[in-house]
Parts: sequence; C-alpha cells; structure tokens
Amino acid sequence: MTESKVIDLLAVFSDLAPAADAIEQLRALGVHDDCMNVISGVPVTEAMLGRPRQWTNVPRIAMGGAILGLSAGIFLAYISPFLYPYPIQVSTQSFVPGPPTAVVMFELTMLGMLLSTFLGVFLDSFFPNYRPMKYVPEVSDGKIAILIECPHVDEKKITDALNKMGAESVKPAEAQHL
Amino acid sequence: MSDNKHHADAAQSHEEHLREKHLMLDPLPRGRMNEMVMESMMEKPTWKFWLVFGFLAFVVVYFLFYQWGVLIVKGQGEAGVMRPDYWGIFLVNTVFWIGISHAGTFISAILRVFKAEFRRPFTRAAELMTTFGLVQAGFSIFMHMGRVWVFYWLLPYPNQRMLWPNLHSPLTWDLLAITTYLLSSTMYLFLPLIPDVAMARDRSTGWRKNIYKVLALGFRGTEGEWTHLRAAMNIFAFAISPVMFSVHTIVSWDFAAATRPGWSSTIFGPYFIVGALHSGMGAAVVVLAVIRGTMKHMDYFVRGEHFDAIGKLMLIISMAWAYFFFNDYMVQWYGGDKWTQQLLHFHEAGPLGWMWFAMLFTNIVLPWAILWNPKWRANPWLVGFVGIAINVGMWFERYIIIPISVTINRMPFTWRMYTPGIEVPMGIGTVALFILLYMAASKLIPLIPVWEVQEGQMAHELKKFGRETVVSVSELE
Repeated sequence: MTESKVIDLLAVFSDLAPAADAIEQLRALGVHDDCMNVISGVPVTEAMLGRPRQWTNVPRIAMGGAILGLSAGIFLAYISPFLYPYPIQVSTQSFVPGPPTAVVMFELTMLGMLLSTFLGVFLDSFFPNYRPMKYVPEVSDGKIAILIECPHVDEKKITDALNKMGAESVKPAEAQHL
Repeated sequence: MSDNKHHADAAQSHEEHLREKHLMLDPLPRGRMNEMVMESMMEKPTWKFWLVFGFLAFVVVYFLFYQWGVLIVKGQGEAGVMRPDYWGIFLVNTVFWIGISHAGTFISAILRVFKAEFRRPFTRAAELMTTFGLVQAGFSIFMHMGRVWVFYWLLPYPNQRMLWPNLHSPLTWDLLAITTYLLSSTMYLFLPLIPDVAMARDRSTGWRKNIYKVLALGFRGTEGEWTHLRAAMNIFAFAISPVMFSVHTIVSWDFAAATRPGWSSTIFGPYFIVGALHSGMGAAVVVLAVIRGTMKHMDYFVRGEHFDAIGKLMLIISMAWAYFFFNDYMVQWYGGDKWTQQLLHFHEAGPLGWMWFAMLFTNIVLPWAILWNPKWRANPWLVGFVGIAINVGMWFERYIIIPISVTINRMPFTWRMYTPGIEVPMGIGTVALFILLYMAASKLIPLIPVWEVQEGQMAHELKKFGRETVVSVSELE
C-alpha cells in the first residue's frame, strides 16, 4: 500500500489577524500561495490576508454578454422590421427610427450583460457543485479556515507552526457532502 | 476630580447610547447572529400566522385566480373597461406594482453604490419586494391582455405566422424592460443570498437542508467564490440602476408618447420614477415595521436608526414628487389647451375630485407633517403608517392618470365615467398574493443578510476625537 505524497490540512482560526500571520508563516515554511486557500464567512480581501490578487473572469464574461445582447438588440431593431410580410410604417417615422431603436438596444444590452454576469459566477466558481468538498461549517459562524496542501512529510512541521500561530484546530481535511 | 468622573460617566453613557442606537456598533458573535436569523425563520408559526395565511390564500384563490378564470371564460366585458376607458384598474395596478418594485433596487443597488451603511440589514427584505412586486405587475398586465393564452405572440421569435412584434411601440419596450428588470432583480436577489443559504444549509436538517443544499450550489466561502460574487454584485449594483430607471420611464412613455390631454408631457419619465420611489420606499418601511414587530429577534437587526434613515429618504422623495407634480401641473395648466384645461378641472372638481385632494394630502402633507421630526421618524409604526398612506396616495395618483384622465378627451361625445367591475377583487387578489409570498419567504429564506451585517460591523468602530466619541467607518473593500 502506497502512502499519498501530499496531504490537505484544514486550520481554523478565530480571527483575521492570526490567520494573516499564519499565512505569512506558511509562506516562510515553503508553502506556495497556490497551495493555500482561505475559507471565510464574510468577504475578506486579499490585501487583508496578504494573499495574491484573485483572478476573476466575471467582468469579461459580462462584457461578452453585453456584446451578445447588443447584437440581439440590433437584430430586433434593425433587421426584424424587414422580416414582416407586410412592412409596418408607423406614422411619419422612418422605417427603422432612431429613438425606439436605442430603447430596444439598451434593454437587450443590459439583459445580456446581467444574465452573463450571473452565469459568470456559476462558471468561475464551478457552481453548482454537489460533490464532497473540504469544509468546516464553523466558517459560517465567523471562523477563518486555511486549507493547505503540503507534502506529507511536512505535516507535523506545518501543524506545529499553525498551532503556534493561534489555530484553534489543525487537522487533515476530509471531503464531505455539504 | 468629581468633574473628571462626571466627564468619564457622560462619555461612557454616550458610547452606550451609540451602541444601542447603531446596529453596526453593537456586534454579536457571528454564530449568535446566525442563530437569531435561523430562529426567526424556523420559529413554529402561531395560529395567528396560519389564520392570516389561510385568509390570504383564500383571497388569492377566489379573488385572483377564480375571478381571472371568470374573466377568461366570459371575456373582458366583465371588467369595466369600455370606450373611452380601455385602460382601467389592471393598468393602474401594473404601474403601482412596478413602482413598488423600485424600492428594492434603490435600497440594495443605489445605496450599495453610495456605501450607505444603514442599508445592510434590510437589503434582502427590499429585494424580495422587487421580485414579488414584479410578479404582481406581470399578472396585472396579463389580466389586461384578455387572451392571456396567446401572450407569447408578444415575444420576438421566428414563427409560422411571419409576425414580429412592432418594436416601434412603447408597449413592446415595456415587455423588454419589465422582462429585463424581473430577471435582473431575481438574479440580484439570489447572488447575495447564496452565502446566507449556505449558512442555513450548515444549520438545518431534513427537507430544509435539502432545499438549502441545492440553493447554496456548493458554496463554501473560498477566496475565489467571494471574489467572483463581489465582482458580480458590483456589476449588478451599477448596471441594474439604469435598468430600474428605464423601466418606469418606459412605463411613463406608454402614456407620454400619446398626444392625449394630460398625458403628453416631457416630464413624465422622471415624474414616474420619483413616484415609483415614493411608493416603493413607503412599502419598504411597512414591510420593515411588520418584520420587526412580528418576527423573533428582528428588533436587534432593524432599529429606530433604520426607520429614521428611510424616513429621511421618504421626506426627500416626497419633496421631489411634489416638485415634479407641480412642474407637470404648471406646464399643462399654462399651456391653455382647451381639453387639458377641462381635464385639470375634472381632476379637481369632478366626481372623483376627493381622490385628487387625498392624493396631495397623503403624498405631501402627511409625510411632511410627520417625517420632519427625528423622534417620530424613528418610530416604526408611525413611519409605517405614513408608508401605507403614501401607497394609498400613489395608487390614487395612478388612478387619476389612467382611467380618470382618459375619460376627458378631444371627443366629448365619448366621455363616460369609468366604473370598475371584476378588476377590483382581482386587484385585491394581487395585494393578497404579494403578502402571501412574503409570509412564505419569511419562513424559507433568511431575511437578514447576516454576512453583510457582519461585514458592516467589522468596518465600524467608535473613535475618540478629543473628548468626543464618534462613529468611524473604514472602507474594507
């Protein structure tokens, strides 16, 4: 039977400051930022924890959705009037008048942007995800958890360091159904 | 020595007063706040709750759905709409409910953009109003539509009939704007709900856990999840505000784009928006007063300071509404058009002139008389009463703009007073459905966004400037 080479540890802290100190200490012990993840019940900025900036695609996806929405608006406002079997001439307005076109394009652009922003959260966060995951429910009670992926041989060293930094508990993380 | 002690005592009492007054300065452990919100939601409903719930359910079934069935079977003749009043209470209610829905976006998005901290505990309560209000608005439009089973003819899609909706028509813009707003506000309600549903998932069992588990989507609160959520909420807060403005502007164009006396007005867009905010804020304060008065622990989350803050907004909005009303009235009156003069006279001195005066009383006189006083403004029931009065007044305003105004037109031989029929019980049914949905939501959804409250509490502290203790807020984002 072979032993796994890496292990996931889950350290729980009662407050932000010791968690930030612990992250610094972990880095000093050679744990790379990519091997850490912070789980919290409130949004904690990367700067507070001294963590690298998180990448998000949500604004780009939103922009893409806005462009799609605008295209749909252009289609409805400019092209669909030509699809009528009997073209509708409204009063003395030109066949494709400007102001109503602006309204249609605005609404569809916003709809495209907001729908894709919503979908962007799903795509970037891999929602919905109902597989077993490493988590402690105390997080939603205000605790800060650090999930660390480290070589098995470093487990004791890292556990001791985290305990020293004020962790309430440090234990191997087990994936569980939430 | 005694002077020093006196100062110290006074400072301590001032600090205690500030903590008691401001939720953001009176933090409880997060676990305790979670417990309070869960208890308020999962508390066993009393017989009074079931009595009200059952009564409302009966009203919804009989007044809304049964009568709607009657309307469909017998036709629009059951309603009082007839030449020249083809637009009756169904459209009054549509405009009214869209107006109510504006409070959610105003409180949640615009106050979020401006970082108004008092918004934190009641953003969700307001967002729910938006979604449930839009459901009633949608129902009201469908009632007005008559042949509701062919509603999909409004949708632009390639079809065998080779028909496309006429996108030059303000009514089609309505479809686009209301659909955009309904979808956006529902998504905007759901996004900040995810962390709270995850909290509820961690604390519940049985069928509730299964529901929350599905709704929480697997949210844990990792750095990435928060980053994506925050980015999305920022985009929503900025983007949904112009959508909100566009919706009621477009609703106003349904009227203003026509060349009827009383309707053809360039100021109708902003006038309608301010009116929507007026009724929306009024409804929000009623909901808050009821939540605070009837749900467990809500007096911790919703305090006098919140009613005071909303009361100030209501006062300012009331002033803005008065300004727009007078501006619209002045221009129409000064224009001297014969039919418009006739209509304005009919508003004030016609058989429903009392409604015109009641509108001015409840929208201007009453709010100004009560909301100027900070002590009265912090009283939930008093501000709630003003909120109800404003909503009655704003409903009157829409009634005056729609069926009363179409009575007087340029063809006197068609003049006829509008007498509503089946619209009245159906309108009451929409009110009952709105309250019913809210009551159900209060038992299923955490009404307080606990994480937002905790975030606000982390950012607030008391700071000493010389001998004075003041509230200080840090910008955490």
